[in-house]
Amino acid sequence: MLDMRGIRKVYRTSHIETHALSDLDLHIGEGEFVAVMGPSGSGKTTFLNIAGLLDTFDGGTYTLDGADVSRLGDRQMSRIRNAKIGFIFQTFNLIPDLSVFDNVDVPLRYRGHGAAARRSAIDEALDIVGLSARQGHLPAQLSGGQQQRVAIARALVGQPRLILADEPTGNLDSAMAMEILDLLERINSTGTTIIMVTHDPELANRTTRQIHLLDGRLIDLASETPAPLLGRAATAGLDAAAQG
Amino acid sequence: MLAYQIRLAWKSLRRNPILSLLLVFAIGLGIAVSMTFVSAYAFLSGNPIPSMSDRLFHVQVDGWNPQRPFDDDKPEEPPNQLTYRDATALLASTIPTRQTVNFKSELTVHPAREGIRPYREVVRLCRGDFFPMFAIPFRYGGPWSREEEAGAQVVVLSAAANQKLFGGENSVGRTLRLEDRDFRVAGVLDRWRPLPKFYDTNNGPFDQPEEMFIPFGLTPQLGVFSAGNTSGWGNCGTNFEEFLQSECVWLQMWVQLDSPSQRDEYFAYLGAYAGEQKKLGRFGRPVNNRLRDVMAWLRFIEVVPPEARALLIISLLFLLVCAVNLIGILLGKFLARAPEVGVRRALGASRRWVFTQHIVECELVGLLGGLLGLALSLGGMRLIDRLFDTTFGFTLDVRLFGIGLGLALLAALVAGAYPAWRICRIEPALHLKTQ
Repeated sequence: MLDMRGIRKVYRTSHIETHALSDLDLHIGEGEFVAVMGPSGSGKTTFLNIAGLLDTFDGGTYTLDGADVSRLGDRQMSRIRNAKIGFIFQTFNLIPDLSVFDNVDVPLRYRGHGAAARRSAIDEALDIVGLSARQGHLPAQLSGGQQQRVAIARALVGQPRLILADEPTGNLDSAMAMEILDLLERINSTGTTIIMVTHDPELANRTTRQIHLLDGRLIDLASETPAPLLGRAATAGLDAAAQG
Repeated sequence: MLAYQIRLAWKSLRRNPILSLLLVFAIGLGIAVSMTFVSAYAFLSGNPIPSMSDRLFHVQVDGWNPQRPFDDDKPEEPPNQLTYRDATALLASTIPTRQTVNFKSELTVHPAREGIRPYREVVRLCRGDFFPMFAIPFRYGGPWSREEEAGAQVVVLSAAANQKLFGGENSVGRTLRLEDRDFRVAGVLDRWRPLPKFYDTNNGPFDQPEEMFIPFGLTPQLGVFSAGNTSGWGNCGTNFEEFLQSECVWLQMWVQLDSPSQRDEYFAYLGAYAGEQKKLGRFGRPVNNRLRDVMAWLRFIEVVPPEARALLIISLLFLLVCAVNLIGILLGKFLARAPEVGVRRALGASRRWVFTQHIVECELVGLLGGLLGLALSLGGMRLIDRLFDTTFGFTLDVRLFGIGLGLALLAALVAGAYPAWRICRIEPALHLKTQ
């Protein structure tokens, strides 16, 4: 599904150069549910942004669903994001003055589908997340868990091959977090690949595979000694812009 | 997709109603000011008789002083009016479809109605062709007949004069006393207001037309001088008979020539006439005749003053300033929406889509501002009418309405292009964690 070879990402300011990802090699197969873990500043979000074609990178190659997406223009990347990738964010990122229905409708609008096809897809997505009865509500009228379920419906509605979730339970209590994870597992069981950034080992344990990032590198915990590596992380001096 | 973008734009405007009103008002103010002057300019520079303007020609022949030009600023030009001798001689031509010689004078009106004292009124002496060739509408009756052309005491009244003198009734056939003579009313005009008053641009090209019209053939009998411009370069005579035979120019002449060949033929006729006059010892200058159609004539005499153009340019610059002032406001408004744009970009919106979305929002502001501005400009036009005591009756026709909306949309585009470009260039990844 996703294949990265030698991916490098450097954030530069006039005084400092921060290596957010360094020669990252990663392959994620179709239908996997992968947890990406690592300390703050390890490059998790940078990895997710690059994987979601939201950010460019400075070196390496990236193949998504069999196509090289390393050097695409804005329109092509937008089209791929719209057709193949669904995003779930920690802060839900719903548009506040659009109703639940209209929020879920957003990705379909960029596909140019007719009204009937959009309604059918939205109804189905809201049904999956159990919010069919809240179509006309505004995000502010929903609980945090409900808002995240709307965001999941929005990620699902275009039937993407890949869902990227950046700490999707970070703003939820533990019960609600488990509900969301149940939902993601159900989605994954239909064959959708999911990559989820999380700090929570309990959630990570429920995925099919865990990968760890440190200083922008992939760490194989089975073969490397973690302690010195963790020590390096503390002195990495990562730029806040890396957002990991 | 456009309908969706308009819906989003409308939502965005409703999100900050006070800011949106400010934006709309700024565009509206710019449009109100600019359209007031654009409309005024369009009125002043418009075609007063579009159906006939390319077939009506102003006649000029050059019998002026051989020693110096009529106008030192335009020494190559002949006088802009004719002598009585030349005008009456040229009327002998059968080439024009219609023709008229005319001038304005003042006569004393003695109303028959109780309670109206005698008063002086501006009267135009003209040929009967004056009415059909200038497409003047009649409410009652019509022009005098060809038989009455030579000097019958007949009069055509304006609608206002008919209202004043006869209470607005059909007065055709009634008698009106002018000076010491009785005139029969031949016709009453309907509302007619050529702008500018192209057939005689002397002394107020934007004045109202005259209230009364009588046959030009009465001129020698009445012995009335022009109330307009009279220019002479020699002796204008000591009495009216000598004045009529003098080289003083005071008459406007218009001919209707329906085809290029007719025009060529008439122009040749003018040349032959000038040649004859030279043989008779008149016309000491080289043959230098002119036939200008209505619009060419109005351009030549610069009926629209340069100040009007300057005001037009200043008003358009004011609109530009309004638009430029909005750039900062729109930039702040759009950049505050960066997190939402980041989400939309993540969900598949291209930069082009984001740019278009924000331009649509600007154009919606432009449209609303344009409508507000056009409504305000109607008030502005009435204000001009009142301040300058004119009766132009400025209004917005479909063309001016379209120009106003077009200017508003253009101003909104000028104001919104840079902010829209900036917001479409944001990096979505930078804003997705900051909502």
